[in-house]
Amino acid sequence: MTITRLWAALLIGPLLLCTLCFFVLPFALLAVTGQGYMDVLHDPYYWRIFAYTLEISAVVTAGCLLIAYPIAYYLIFIAPGRTLRRVIFIIVIAPLFTSNIVRSFGWIIILGRNGVINNALYDLGLIEKKLQLLYTDFSVVVGLIYIMTPFMVLSLSSVLQKIEPSLREAAKDLGASPPVAFIKVTLPLSMPGIVAGSLIVFTLTMGAYVTPSVMSGGKSTVMSMLIYQQYAVSINYPLGAVLAIALLAGSLVVVGLYLMAVRGVEARYKPLEASAK
Amino acid sequence: MIEIKSLSKVYGQFRALDDVSLFVEEGEFIALLGPSGCGKTTLLRSIAGFVQPDGGSISISGRSMLGQPPNKRPVNTVFQNYALFPHYSVANNVAFGPRRQRLPVQEIKQRVQEALTAVGMSDFASRFPSQLSGGQQQRVALARAIVNRPKVLLLDEPLGALDLKLRKQLQLELSKLHKTLGITFIFVTHDQEEALVMADRVAVMSRGKILQLGKPDEIYDHPSSRYVASFVGESTLLRCDVGQDGRVVLEANGAVLPAQLAGIWRNGQSLMIRPENIAVGPAVGPDETAVEGVVASVAFLGSTRRVHLELANREVAIVDIPGTGPKPELGQALTVHWHGAKATFVSD
Repeated sequence: MTITRLWAALLIGPLLLCTLCFFVLPFALLAVTGQGYMDVLHDPYYWRIFAYTLEISAVVTAGCLLIAYPIAYYLIFIAPGRTLRRVIFIIVIAPLFTSNIVRSFGWIIILGRNGVINNALYDLGLIEKKLQLLYTDFSVVVGLIYIMTPFMVLSLSSVLQKIEPSLREAAKDLGASPPVAFIKVTLPLSMPGIVAGSLIVFTLTMGAYVTPSVMSGGKSTVMSMLIYQQYAVSINYPLGAVLAIALLAGSLVVVGLYLMAVRGVEARYKPLEASAK
Repeated sequence: MIEIKSLSKVYGQFRALDDVSLFVEEGEFIALLGPSGCGKTTLLRSIAGFVQPDGGSISISGRSMLGQPPNKRPVNTVFQNYALFPHYSVANNVAFGPRRQRLPVQEIKQRVQEALTAVGMSDFASRFPSQLSGGQQQRVALARAIVNRPKVLLLDEPLGALDLKLRKQLQLELSKLHKTLGITFIFVTHDQEEALVMADRVAVMSRGKILQLGKPDEIYDHPSSRYVASFVGESTLLRCDVGQDGRVVLEANGAVLPAQLAGIWRNGQSLMIRPENIAVGPAVGPDETAVEGVVASVAFLGSTRRVHLELANREVAIVDIPGTGPKPELGQALTVHWHGAKATFVSD
């Protein structure tokens, strides 16, 4: 079925108009009229928070990848039978049906001073003093990884699914042990999934607000919390706007650098004129 | 060389391999021929190591292959869909095997060059699989397998996806390659012509069993069963019976079979004659037999016309008549005959 230009315009139009009126225009207005860019740029405090946000996001992205890859691999290549595969899929997706806030509070019960982990370790006599698990960088990272992993699993499994089983067989047939077959064939062919999944997780984490604020207990601050403070606590709208734009620009730069690096890796595998026959 | 003894494999209720035994000589070209689901691919994949058989044994050069993973077997496979690595260039695809063997760089280069030259693809070394046609991909897949100098090359319907002309050409090239390399080839196909043209011996398979194993002309001239006769080439199959006077006769018209044929007939066997051995006209002399029928279809094959005759008992005789003569009309009555020496018996 082909869609005429008019239909396309009618279908896309309302959403486009909405985005334009209520997001792009106000945002552009803010960006142009925003004041105090220089103040923000020259204040190491904001740089530190941006660096901290970046660091958390990078760790969360890497953590998600390490956790999600085995899940996706098992789901696509190993899980026997369609039923089991579906059950795993549902288990992976199910958390997305619950609010972030509820799920973050769940971690308080697990990580808290009198939480499941501390009590278990204490009662077993493995620790003498309760560990400070909650309200640390660790809890922030754990909470975010938990929230973000489904996105990584989904994007990885959709790419792994498209890898012809005969390619892995061919690798083994040509003398590759299973680990070598993975490194030489499956891993490079799953790069698009790794890239897409990392981008989704990274950008979502850079802008995440609820989980970091609940899991840090206010002891550390990420950019989104800082922005919230400007709007809701300090009522300093201009600074909030400038910080929001700084976060966006900063994220874009990091994503751009990442994509450039990925392209460099991929160029070793793919020809420049890959589409030419 | 390859010894396969009473191999079996069951998937649920389905017997993919049912007590299959096969001995292959060094340097032989064996074709596994049969319709889809007959077990030929399962047999090939068992030799490659991708299928774990439920029973039986496989050994290559006296070494048992059971429990050996695919990467530890002296065999290489050419896959049905080629299975070229899309992220490697042609040269890197071919070098994949030698690199796993940790050969010196110089030798890898030389071997890759040789293998690509052998399949006529040396000019395409830096291309990527997505830039090649089906036939070219097929050649690269072949080079990638033979570069490892395996004891056995397994080919899983390698020509199935190619058009007829290219297929014929690659059949010839494969035969040539087999002769120059001296490697044992095991070739899976459902195309009987392909099997007859290329193989030293053909194993006709059905329902997980090897029905007949023999040289192409043996299989064609003396099929062991109705099934083999009808799967390999076309044939007229006529049921026989014992007449009132104790002589062996055709069920279709009661024609008496020549004495030397009647002597080897066993109860339940049918008479089989290939279309090219049947001619129009009545029988002359005691060694010839004739049947009468009605023309049911005529197919033009170029030099000949293939005529299907429906006999009185609804059996069908298939006859090749010269393409230059007049075309038989549908519904026309026709008498055809053959010489007894050109006929053979097949079991049900």
